[in-house]
Amino acid sequence: MFSKFNQKIDTIFLDTNSKKFEIQGRVNIILSPSLYWVKKVTLPVKYIRDVKPLLASLFEDILPIGNYSYHAYKEDNDFFIFAYEDKVILDTLRDKGISSAELNNVYLSQSEFSNISDPIAIDETQSLYLKEDLVILLPSSFFDTQKSLDIKSISLSKQNIRLNQFGHIVNNKSLYTLVGIFSLLIVLLSVEFFIVYDKTLKIRDLKDNLFAKHSLKATMIQNRSMLKDYNSLHERQMKIRLYTGYILALHLKDTQKLSLVQLKGKLLIAEFTGVVSGAQVEIVQELNKNGIKYKARFKSGIWRVEMSI
Amino acid sequence: MKTVNPLHIVTLLLVLFIFVTFELFKAKEELLIAKENFQETSVLTNKLKGLNKIYSDKEGVRRSIGIILKQHSLKSTNINQSIGKTSIIIRAESLDRVALNSLMSKILNGSYNIASLKIKKTSDTKASLDMEIKW
Repeated sequence: MFSKFNQKIDTIFLDTNSKKFEIQGRVNIILSPSLYWVKKVTLPVKYIRDVKPLLASLFEDILPIGNYSYHAYKEDNDFFIFAYEDKVILDTLRDKGISSAELNNVYLSQSEFSNISDPIAIDETQSLYLKEDLVILLPSSFFDTQKSLDIKSISLSKQNIRLNQFGHIVNNKSLYTLVGIFSLLIVLLSVEFFIVYDKTLKIRDLKDNLFAKHSLKATMIQNRSMLKDYNSLHERQMKIRLYTGYILALHLKDTQKLSLVQLKGKLLIAEFTGVVSGAQVEIVQELNKNGIKYKARFKSGIWRVEMSI
Repeated sequence: MKTVNPLHIVTLLLVLFIFVTFELFKAKEELLIAKENFQETSVLTNKLKGLNKIYSDKEGVRRSIGIILKQHSLKSTNINQSIGKTSIIIRAESLDRVALNSLMSKILNGSYNIASLKIKKTSDTKASLDMEIKW
């Protein structure tokens, strides 16, 4: 199945001087040495992952200003390291009629032509040539004999590179940092959301349990109304107790008598006998001292005090 | 080699971040409301429970009135009590000062729903009493 898949994909050799291509479907691309920088280095490290952090510094002396991506692979004890500008390659591809969506894999001439014995002409003027293990591009006029490029006979290696289409907008490190920060924040906020949501559900459950346990009315309006009635009743009863207590504890003169204490509607009525008009000062003072609102009048020798409750 | 524009990814994450923040904000508000509701319900329940026990506990009122009327200072008095479905009526035709003070101090220091009260002087040393306590 894999070989069938491979057979369907054409391979194209891409150079800045290539003619415009007319392609159907996806294609593999082999980049000409004119589209990347290559070095063969020997480093005191064992693995590619140890080389990758060093790539930018290994090229910093020779590269013109630009946004570069790097690639490396190991061969024997040496490392082949590459620098390339994604945007330049993608622009070249677009100029040659290939969109990024049509790309399958992108390869480097270095990895695909590392075993050539004779120069290979890529067009009328330029040839690929292997010099000190590096595949370079030289004018065809340098060579007496050269082979023509038979792209179909090439068996592609596993050393393909990935082009960052937007590397010139934002570099990978910044992008990953930004994405990482946002993702972390989103995860943290989501976790907090679920904790808050769970708490809300638990509190609602507690409230429901409270309703069931104390047999409250179905709605809070009913319960509030019931409490309002109780509060009003409690307030009234407190006044009845206080006022009745004050009246019953009044210090009266020998001639003065309390003849009636009656609760009538919203009034607590007290009637005194033996109180001469103008001689009730002490009782009035006592009522005023306790902040009791009242109305008083004399009728048939009885001093009647009405206290509103 | 189809690649998503990183700015689209960042925008998507930003939108997602704003959405999650907004949802979290809403959830926190709901939690706050739920807490306030629960707090209000707890306070209301406690108050209702307390007031209900004071003013609507038929057995409690009957029992405590019974205890008051059985006390030593009121034993020799002729106090009648009649118990209805929603209230208890206490009547006495003639109470001396000590008995009246004793009874009223107990009633007024307790927590009862006094629906009606009438204390009338009948002589220099006696008074009548008519009182209804509801539940």
